Amino acid sequence: MNSIFHRCFGLLGGRKLAQVFIGASVVGSSFSLQATDVLNTPSYPSELASEYLLVDIENLGQRLVAVGARGHIIHSDSRGSSWQQADVPVSVLLTAVDFVSSDKGWAVGHGGVILHSNDGGLSWVKQFDGNQANQSIIEQAEAYIAELEFELDESGGSDEDLEYELEDAQYALEDAELDAEIGASKPFLDVAFLTDTHGFAVGAYGFLFETTDGGRTWENAGDRLDNLDRFHLNAIKVLEGGNLIIAGEAGVLFTSSDKGQSWDTVNSPYEGSFFGVLPLKDKNSALVFGLRGNLFKTVNAGRSWSKVDSGTESSLMGGALDGNKQISITGNAGTVIVSNDGGETFSSYSRADRLGHTAMVYITRDRLALVGESGVELVSPSGKNL
Amino acid sequence: MANADQSSAGTNNSVGSGMVAERLIFKNRPVILGIFLLITAFLGFNAAQIKPDASFERLIPLEHEFVQNMMDNRSDLENLGNFIRIAVAAKDGDIFNKAYMETLSELTDEVFYLSGVDRSSLKSLWTPNVRWVEVTEDGFQGGPVIPNGYDGSQASLDQLRANILKSGQVGSLVADDFKSTIIYAPLFEINPETQEPLDYQAFSKELEEKVREKYQASNPNISIHIVGFAKKVGDLIDGIGAIATFALVTIGLTLSFLYIYSRCPIATVIPIVTSIVAVIWQLGLLRLFGYGLDPYSVLIPFLVFAIGISHGVQIVNQIAVQQASGLNALMSARMAFRNLVRPGILALVSDAIGFLTLFFIEIEVIRDLAVAAGLGVAVIIVTNLILHPVMMSYTGLSKGGLKHAKKVEMSDHKPWRVLSFMSHQSIAPISIMIAILGCVIGLYYQKDLKIGDLDRGAPELRPDSRYNLDNEFIIDNYSTSADILVVMVKTPPEQCASYELLDVMDRMQWRLENVEGVQSTASLVTVSKLVTKALNEGSFKWFELSRNQSIINSSIQRAPSGLMNTDCSMTPMIVYLDDHKAETLDRVIQEMQVLIEEYPSENYEFLLAAGNAGVEAATNQVIEKAKTVMLLSVYAVVSFLCLITFRSIAAVVCIITPLALTSVLCEALMAQLGIGVKVATLPVIALGVGIGVDYGIYIYSQLETKLKEGLVLQEAYFQTLRTTGKAVSFTGVTLGIGVCTWIFSPIKFQADMGILLFFMFLWNMIGSMWLLPALARFLVKTKKTA
Repeated sequence: MNSIFHRCFGLLGGRKLAQVFIGASVVGSSFSLQATDVLNTPSYPSELASEYLLVDIENLGQRLVAVGARGHIIHSDSRGSSWQQADVPVSVLLTAVDFVSSDKGWAVGHGGVILHSNDGGLSWVKQFDGNQANQSIIEQAEAYIAELEFELDESGGSDEDLEYELEDAQYALEDAELDAEIGASKPFLDVAFLTDTHGFAVGAYGFLFETTDGGRTWENAGDRLDNLDRFHLNAIKVLEGGNLIIAGEAGVLFTSSDKGQSWDTVNSPYEGSFFGVLPLKDKNSALVFGLRGNLFKTVNAGRSWSKVDSGTESSLMGGALDGNKQISITGNAGTVIVSNDGGETFSSYSRADRLGHTAMVYITRDRLALVGESGVELVSPSGKNL
Repeated sequence: MANADQSSAGTNNSVGSGMVAERLIFKNRPVILGIFLLITAFLGFNAAQIKPDASFERLIPLEHEFVQNMMDNRSDLENLGNFIRIAVAAKDGDIFNKAYMETLSELTDEVFYLSGVDRSSLKSLWTPNVRWVEVTEDGFQGGPVIPNGYDGSQASLDQLRANILKSGQVGSLVADDFKSTIIYAPLFEINPETQEPLDYQAFSKELEEKVREKYQASNPNISIHIVGFAKKVGDLIDGIGAIATFALVTIGLTLSFLYIYSRCPIATVIPIVTSIVAVIWQLGLLRLFGYGLDPYSVLIPFLVFAIGISHGVQIVNQIAVQQASGLNALMSARMAFRNLVRPGILALVSDAIGFLTLFFIEIEVIRDLAVAAGLGVAVIIVTNLILHPVMMSYTGLSKGGLKHAKKVEMSDHKPWRVLSFMSHQSIAPISIMIAILGCVIGLYYQKDLKIGDLDRGAPELRPDSRYNLDNEFIIDNYSTSADILVVMVKTPPEQCASYELLDVMDRMQWRLENVEGVQSTASLVTVSKLVTKALNEGSFKWFELSRNQSIINSSIQRAPSGLMNTDCSMTPMIVYLDDHKAETLDRVIQEMQVLIEEYPSENYEFLLAAGNAGVEAATNQVIEKAKTVMLLSVYAVVSFLCLITFRSIAAVVCIITPLALTSVLCEALMAQLGIGVKVATLPVIALGVGIGVDYGIYIYSQLETKLKEGLVLQEAYFQTLRTTGKAVSFTGVTLGIGVCTWIFSPIKFQADMGILLFFMFLWNMIGSMWLLPALARFLVKTKKTA
């Protein structure tokens, strides 16, 4: 909704006003905080967990791990023929999962939740949530304001640029405080680790957090991006060779060649939203895809892009590589597209269920696990149920 | 039903009031006939105007908490239930062809103009409110699913297919297999133009004529399936009409049976005429008291007719005996009246007391049933005990009938002689063993007895009725359920969409979805998540309830009106169920009650329960509670009746045991036939026991008289069988005939009642003639047997 509302209300003064305007419309927004917040409510054990909305899935080699709605994390040691539900300390929608090894993995989701597993996804602990995120942003903003005020004092109070910067920083603090008042409302949308200690989580409204200690502490890194409009950051991936790429709303693309310390804004080939990035086998190569079947390829870590015909108008959400040249990408309305030539050309298929799917992963060359609004399904590369 | 005690007749009836009444009646026969004629004409005129009445409220337990909650929130729930869905199916191929779309367009227009339809909310592929939406770089894009410039060409049909896929209507308005689509029409309970309530029968008829018949005829490649509350009620009312046929069949059957029994045209016709008069009076009085005929009370005339006939036969019997002994027609009729008026009234009063226990069931329609039955029994006292002998006093028996009566009297009564061995000392223990065995077997099978309705679809109608087949079609081809439980959530004004509440509802819904038998759930939370997802460019990563109240508010701005009342103080949580079996309902209600305990708050209140499943659950609870109370009280009442009549515990045991055995066997039969204990079948127990006890009373009283005369048991029993037994068996068969035609009713519960009453009437009769003497062998002190 970010971009739509932004456009609708842009003339009236941006996002903040848009939210106030909407907020006034139906119900007053006062409510008391629940005794058992979803952030502290363990996921309810359910036999339906593997048939209900799952959003991301990862292949750990011997084990498959999928995450989804209501804090569901399920795992399978039988190549997907049976699933067990893990104990999870939260019951929010989990949006992404990433494992750096067969043991260590992270899952992120709504409420700014970051979970960690040390045992290949069997058990999970909460490392971080939106309340901490809000607090961290406020503290950072306050520190920045203090710094600017100090600089302004130094300059004798006459530096106009500094004054503007201070004003902006004060607005940012107000925003952050407002967010904190609302609570842990912003979701993380993807997570990627470079090593078993160093990783990033991205999310809505420009959320970008970094850890360098395996998730014990997370630090706001959102200011490293040139994302003034605070567009949603939908995906973050590590490319072959170690470059990082972030794709998001309204076609925003950022890349980093120094492990995320600095980020370049990429000249985007598309102004609609990107939902996913799929790193390819070759160094610095990746596919990015998103709204209405838009699909682009880079072989130079985002410096240039070529448009690929996806053969579909459905939004593309998540993809998988068989380790070599075969690629499957899935999306809304039962769409699955397949390439056998490393992403140069695709053929498009339509699943009979026409449901939305968000991710898939290769188990063998002709057997994949597909996740989406009806849970997990075992399928062929073109998305046919096995 | 007076199974008159023929041989003791005349011994104790020469007492005052009876004589006065007799003189009054038989001295003024023309006046009496004239009065009857006038009353019958007047009540007949009223009876003719009696209206079918299938009022929803009378069928449900209004005093139950669930129903009261539903009624309290009725105005806010209205739009949830009352709609019809018309599935238009293509027989060959799919919906994407010119002819199909043309018919669908015409049909949509036709439905649009049906009176009672809420036109602004009518939905079909051809209505402009059914649109496709697509997220593009510039925001939403959309349009009606029928493409602009649609001309039936392949290109425009292809465009239509694409639009349908983008519309999200597959599963709700378009079948999963693309072979049918639905026209969805919400109805006005009260027509806003005329302020008249919706006439379900007329509406249903219009649907048949103007929609189903007309368009299936004009396009042979389509079939039409219609479901919805209005259609169901219409079908039910039509089903009441079918009862007329059964009435004719019953009369025909009774006619031939009476003739075989009496071989006398007069004795055949007059009982039938007087019984029909009884029915006319009963219907006329019902109308005068402001009652209509609902699908339950429409059955009472059959009972009245059958009870009337059985009393009529007693009178015919008596007159035959008197005439055979040489009296003239008038004196025979007077003697018959004199002998039968007391036992007749006693028997009818005991029937009425049996019916009264129906008042323990807190469901209006059942209480109406008690009123109708009570009225009927009261009417029979007048018509069959007075009008019948007066009419016969003019005619007497025909010569043929008289001859037949004499012949029967003179015969050796061989079947009765054989049957009398039931009281023999070596046969009686066997009978008792068989009875115990039967009881054990009955108790074993009775364990499967279920509360509530057990079939899928509309339980009122047969599983293979058109309505239920249509329902099956829609359930199979669309993602939808017909069994809906609605939990009402009350909040202070403007608080029905607070995060606190929606979060709790979200958790509850998931817990409910994990209950066996729950298909899915829906509420504002569902809408909020769906819209939040849609506003985030259709990404499932956003299918979550936001903690940000502004986002919640904007996500529910366009929520369907039924999901929120005008001041946002009530919002429903809708639970779609696989079926409405009692176990399913119990499981869901129980889980819901646990959840309500688990999430207490001052800011909201969860109230059970509306929707058809909510009403069923309430009904089941009422029935379950009433069942024990009713069984206990009906048995207490009849036992008491026996005790004061015979002043002997042995008599009570002899009479009640066969009834109890029948009750057990009846429940086992229900379990085996898959008939649940429900509104329709619970009264059967009261009716069956109330009427059934008469058999035992008459047999026992005759037996006792004969024993007092000094006969040994088997001979006393033979004498009993020859006279009273004959009448009892005749009565059993007559009553059986009266109810067995119901088995063919298009209304399922009428058929169930028919089967069970038929069983109970016959078994009570058999039990009283077979088991009663065997028990008497051990319980009643007699002189040594021969």
